[in-house]
Amino acid sequence: MEEQLEPNEMIVHLGPQHPMQPGPFRLNLRLKGETVVDADIELGFIHKGIEKILENKTYLQGITIVDRICYLVALVNEECFVGCTEKLLGIEPPERSKYIRVILDELTRIQSHLLGIGEFAEFIGFVSMFMYAVREREEVLSLIDMVTGARVTHSYLKFGGVRDDLPDGFKEKTTPVLNDLKKEVDNFEQMFHTDRIYRERTVGVGVLTADVAKSLGVSGPALRATGVPFDIRKNEPYLVYKDLDFKVCTETAGDCFARVQVRLNEIRESIYILEQCLDQIPNGPLFPENTLYGRRTPVMRVPAGEVFHRVEDPRGEMGMYMVSDGSDKPYRVKVRGPYYPTLQALPPLIIGTTVADVAAISGSMDGCTSEADR
Amino acid sequence: MPINIPELIIPLLPWIRGVVGLVLIGAIFLAAMGAVWLERKLSADIQSRMGPCRVGKYGLLQLVADAIKLFTKEDLKPWNADSLLFNNANIFMIGSIFLMLVALPVGAIFINGVEYPLAVTQMDISVLYIEAVSALSIFGIFMVAYGSNNKYSLLGAFRNFARMVGYEVPLGITVISVAVMTGSLSIVDISRSQGLHWNIFLQPLGCFVFFVSLMADMGRLPFDQNESEEEIIAGWITEYCGMRFGLGFFAEYMHMVLGSFLVALLFLGGWNVPGFVANNPVLGLIAPTGFLLVKAVFVLMVIIGLRWAVPRFRIDQVVDLSWKKLFPLALLNLVWAVGLGLYLGA
Amino acid sequence: MVLKNIKYAIKNITKPPVTRMYPEKPSELSDRFRGLQILDKTKCIGCGICANTCPNAAIKIVKAPIAPGSEKQRWFPQIDIGHCLFCGLCIDQCPKGALSSGKEYAKGLVKWKHKDLLMNPDKLAREVDIEEGDER
Repeated sequence: MEEQLEPNEMIVHLGPQHPMQPGPFRLNLRLKGETVVDADIELGFIHKGIEKILENKTYLQGITIVDRICYLVALVNEECFVGCTEKLLGIEPPERSKYIRVILDELTRIQSHLLGIGEFAEFIGFVSMFMYAVREREEVLSLIDMVTGARVTHSYLKFGGVRDDLPDGFKEKTTPVLNDLKKEVDNFEQMFHTDRIYRERTVGVGVLTADVAKSLGVSGPALRATGVPFDIRKNEPYLVYKDLDFKVCTETAGDCFARVQVRLNEIRESIYILEQCLDQIPNGPLFPENTLYGRRTPVMRVPAGEVFHRVEDPRGEMGMYMVSDGSDKPYRVKVRGPYYPTLQALPPLIIGTTVADVAAISGSMDGCTSEADR
Repeated sequence: MPINIPELIIPLLPWIRGVVGLVLIGAIFLAAMGAVWLERKLSADIQSRMGPCRVGKYGLLQLVADAIKLFTKEDLKPWNADSLLFNNANIFMIGSIFLMLVALPVGAIFINGVEYPLAVTQMDISVLYIEAVSALSIFGIFMVAYGSNNKYSLLGAFRNFARMVGYEVPLGITVISVAVMTGSLSIVDISRSQGLHWNIFLQPLGCFVFFVSLMADMGRLPFDQNESEEEIIAGWITEYCGMRFGLGFFAEYMHMVLGSFLVALLFLGGWNVPGFVANNPVLGLIAPTGFLLVKAVFVLMVIIGLRWAVPRFRIDQVVDLSWKKLFPLALLNLVWAVGLGLYLGA
Repeated sequence: MVLKNIKYAIKNITKPPVTRMYPEKPSELSDRFRGLQILDKTKCIGCGICANTCPNAAIKIVKAPIAPGSEKQRWFPQIDIGHCLFCGLCIDQCPKGALSSGKEYAKGLVKWKHKDLLMNPDKLAREVDIEEGDER
C-alpha cells in the first residue's frame, strides 16, 4: 500500500488508539479525497498468549483463564471449554444443570446484543441510543449477578454441573425484567425503522453477499443477515436446545440495517427461550450421581484423546479443539474464535465507500478484538 | 435614538462606548457559559443520568472549573504547522461573533408608551449585515483545520467548506422572503411589524427551512461532520490545546445563543407584547425583554435537544440535502411570500 | 421523519436518573458476591490444597498462632491481594470448608504500600483490623 501515491491520495490510520473502536486494531486506509481506495487490517495489539497459558494450568484452573478470552460473553467461553473436557471425560451433567447453563447462555446473549446495538448507534452519531441500551443491559446484568456472583468473568461452571443452584425467587424476579425488555426492544425497532437519517446511513451500506461470507468463514448474525440459516443451536444441538422451540432469524439484504435487525430479533427469540426454560426446568441434582464430581472437583487425570466442540457465541461460532495426553494439564487447546473471520471480511467491504461508512460497517460487525487476538 | 445628549457628556462618549462594549462581551461570555451548562444538564436528562452536580449548587460552577483547567494547559504547536494560520484563526472565529453582536437587539424598553430597542446600533440593513458577518467564521474554521498539518483535520476542513457553501443560500433566501413581506431589511422593523400575527404562522415553510439551515450553519448535529468524533477523532480542532480550544468551543456556543435570538426575532414575534402591558410603567420596562428571552431560551433548548436525539448524516447526504431539497423549498417560500405580501398589501 | 426519536427523548426527560451518588451510597452487592476471603482457624488443617488450586499462585502456607495471644503455631494460608482473582476456587476446593467469602472489595483492600497487600492469616481471620494501611 505504500507504493506511489497519486497527488490527491493519502494514507490514514484508523489506528490502535481511536476513540470509537471496539478494541485495538490498525486499519490502514488509502483515501482519495473521501473515498477509500484500498484497505488493510493489522491485528495483534492485545495478544495475551492464552493458548500457551492453558498448557501450564490444570483443567480446573483453565476455567478461570478461558473466562477472559472475551470478557463480555464469559459464560459461553466457559461452556465451550467445559463441554470439551466433559466429552473427553465421558460424563454428562444432569438435566437441571443443563437448563441452568442454557438460561445463563441466553441471558449473556441478550446483554451482548444490547451492547452491540448501542455501540453501533453510537458509531453513527446517535449517542443517546447507547445510553438507552446500556440502561436495559444493567437489569440483565444484575440478574446474572444474582446467580453467579459477578458481572463479568464469572468462573461459575464446573465439570459435570454448575457451582450453585438458582437462588430462590429467581423466576419471580426475571419475569418483569423480560416483559420490560420486550417493550423496549419494540421501541428501539420502531425508532430505527422510522428514522430517516438512520435509514440513509445504513440501508445499502456494506452489503455482504452469501458466497463471500461462506468462503471466508463468517458466522453469526453477519452470516444470517445474508440469508443463510446456519445456527449451531439448530444444526448441532448441544445441552437442551433440541427440546426447546425457537426459530433462526435471517434477513436477506446483508447490509448494516439487516445485521442490526437480526440482533433485535435474536433478543426476542432469547426472551422466548428463557420463558420456556423457566417453565420447564426440572428439579434434581446438580451433579451426576455415583461420581466424585461435585462442587469440589476431584484430582482429574483426563484420558488421552482429541475432541472438537463448538457452541453458538453471540458473535458467531466458537469452537475449541482439545488434545489431552493423559495428565492433569491439557497438551494443547486451540481456540477458534468467531471474530477473526468477520474482521477479514471488512477490507473488501469498505473499498469504494467513504470514511464515514467505515465506522458504520465496522461497528455493525459488533466484535470484541480481545477475542480475535487471544 | 432621538435623545438629546447634554453638552457635558460628549467628551466622555468614547469611554462610555468602551465600557458598554466590554459589558456586552462579558454578557455574551456569560450567556455562552449558561448555554454550555444547559446543554450538559439537558443531555443528562435525556440519557437518565445526572449532569454536573458536585461543583457548586446544581453544577453551575463547573464551567469556571473547566475554564481554569483550560488556562493551565500546555500550549502545543504541531511540527510543521503553518504559524500564520494556526495562531490567528481564533481571531476570525471570535471576531465574527462580536461583529454579529453589534447589530442584534436583545430587547426593548417601553417608557411612556415610546419604544426604545436595546441594540448597540440600528442599521437599515441589519439583517443582511448579520447574515454576512456570520459567514466569516468559515475562514476561521478553515484556517484552524488546514494549518494543523494533520490528516484528520484536513478531512474536517473540506467537509466544512462543502457544508457551509451549500447552506448559506437557503438561509439568505428565507431571510429575504421575510424582509420582502415586511418591506424593510432592518431587524427592528421586522420585529416591530409582527404584532400578534407572528411570521411563523404566515410563513411556516420559511421558518422550517431557516431553522434547518441555521443548524447546519452553526455546525450542530445532525450536521457536525467536520468534528464528528467517531471517524476523525476531533476533526478540525484536533491539534488545538488549552485556551485556543476553549475559544473555539465557546465561539460555537455563542453562535448558538445568537442564532436562537435571531429565530425568535424573525419568526417568533420579537418583543411584541399586548398594548396594556406596554403602557404599564413597571411591566413596560421588563416584560418585552423578558418575553424575548423566554422565546430565545425555548429555541435554544430545541436546538440542544435535537442534537442528542438523532443520528448524523454523511457529508454527501448533507450536500445533497441542501442543493436538491432545501434550495427549491426556499425558492417556493419566496414566491409564497411575495404573493402573500401583495395580497395583504392590496 | 425523526419524530419517534424526539418523542422517546422527551419521554426520557420525565424519568428519574439512574445514577447512584457514590460514595455516599455504596453499591448493592448480591448475596453471592465474592470479596475478601474469611478464614476459620478452627477448621483449617494446613493441607495446602488451596495453594495448589489457585490459578495465579497467590496463596502461600505460612506459620501463624492458632488464636490471638497463643504460643502454639500451625500452618495457615496467606493470600496476596495483588495477585488474587477473587475467582473462589480456593473456597470450593477446601476439604474442611475453612474458607468462605466476605464482602470487602474496596475498604481494606486498597493500600498505599506494597507489603500491606499480603493478607496474613490473622487478617484473614479478622482478628486484626484489615483497614490499617488504608491511609497514607
